[in-house]
Amino acid sequence: MDRLVHLSIDNGCATITLRRADARNALSFELIHALASTIAQVSAHITRAPDEVRVVVLAGEGKSFCAGMDLKAVLHDPVKMGGMLQQLSMSLLALRQLAVPTIARVQGAAIGGGCGLVVICDFAVTHPEAKLGYPEVDLGVCPAVVAPWLVKKIGAGPARAMLLMGATMRGDEALSRGLVTHCVASDQLETATAQLVARLITGGQYALACTKRMLNELDGSNDARVARDAAELSAKVIASPEAQAQLARHFQTVPTPPAR
Amino acid sequence: MDTPALPLVHITCTGGVCTITLDDPSRRNALGTALFEQFEHALAQAHETANRGEIIVVVIRATGRAFCSGFDLAQCVQNHETLAQFVRRLAAITRVIREMPAIVVAQVQGAALAGGCAIVAACDIVCASEQATFGYPVHRIGISPAVSLPTLMATVGCGGARTLTLSGEIVDARRAKELGLVFTLSPDADMLDASVAALARELSAKPPAALRATKAWLNHVDGTHSSQSLGSRAHDVTEATAALAATDESRLLLAHFWNRRKGTD
Repeated sequence: MDRLVHLSIDNGCATITLRRADARNALSFELIHALASTIAQVSAHITRAPDEVRVVVLAGEGKSFCAGMDLKAVLHDPVKMGGMLQQLSMSLLALRQLAVPTIARVQGAAIGGGCGLVVICDFAVTHPEAKLGYPEVDLGVCPAVVAPWLVKKIGAGPARAMLLMGATMRGDEALSRGLVTHCVASDQLETATAQLVARLITGGQYALACTKRMLNELDGSNDARVARDAAELSAKVIASPEAQAQLARHFQTVPTPPAR
Repeated sequence: MDTPALPLVHITCTGGVCTITLDDPSRRNALGTALFEQFEHALAQAHETANRGEIIVVVIRATGRAFCSGFDLAQCVQNHETLAQFVRRLAAITRVIREMPAIVVAQVQGAALAGGCAIVAACDIVCASEQATFGYPVHRIGISPAVSLPTLMATVGCGGARTLTLSGEIVDARRAKELGLVFTLSPDADMLDASVAALARELSAKPPAALRATKAWLNHVDGTHSSQSLGSRAHDVTEATAALAATDESRLLLAHFWNRRKGTD
């Protein structure tokens, strides 16, 4: 499992890295499972030794941060797909509930569920040419799992328009729309993220933890029922004939990522 | 009063899109008895067409320089009871738009004020030209814009909704975009027309069940569904606003405003 998601802890910063670069870090059943257990590991580490993890960075290896859900392998297995969506939804919840600030470092692309990972983090750093967004409806899929988090991040009005219109946007537009908090030249991505980490580490750890806990309580981030209902709805829509037909057409034109 | 036979609202349904056009430009598309009736009728027709699965997009647009200037105050001055009735009808229209099993796009080319702004705030996607303006300048006539709050608070957040409705300030399209009310801006009305037509075509080509499920889920998530925090209060808000519209304060302020506007006060 640890081959798909790597965890390193260094100078107060835990970095969680998705390592499925050959599939643009698409969220397969195995990858989501590995991510869930890594988040649980980080959470336990924060409880056990709060001085050792003061900030979490979420990153993706290779050209793209994360291409979204890898639906192809589970398309005709609704039970497995339902489980995968539940696990993703619960992983997003667990990532949100980490008691330290989280930063997504986003290169290349963050699509659908990948964009969901970006938006769930407290901060996100990207570059102008990056591609972010939620094209779910274009594939006949309902972005139910990511919707509550986008609504909290950018407000319900813009989130409604964005999710219904589908498609993707550039990193600079993602900044002006509020999906990410920083947009820098692509060769500055690591430096800018490191600077943000350094700045957050100077904050009082209990003060930051308290603020984050309050933010989560007040904006409804702890609502596990919404996360469960969202995954159920999403699985139901994907299993519908409309989505199955749309996805089948989509997968005919898109090369299969190599299995791993 | 007899309803004039002139059509003030047009509806066309073609290519998966229903387009509803408010067409009473000389009265700035004000919501009077006839326009209300025809607009309600058009929305009901769009709803039925969407239910039959023939369309997935509804565009609400208007002719002339204004999108909609709010209630037809001339009618309210003539018969004050009309005002409370208009409040209820406006509230019902915002619910119909929010519950429409199709994506409702507002194409705002000019002023969308008071009831006009309430219609816009209920829509799913708001496209505006730079000349559009938005606001709720209604306290001066003794009425409250509260029937817009259930959708406005969801759309622009509590802070923006508080400022817009209490101040009565009229904001331009850029500010409305910053607030989250407007999603896309076009330089002028013609470009807006082209951009909304393109958007409607794109939306109508998307898988409809996914769009409908997403809209319904968003109504749950942002609290505007009738079972949720904002939606469940809509009836109480409407009745309180309608009761306010029947008070002496409202009667006096409206008469005062009207006389001053006519230059006889």
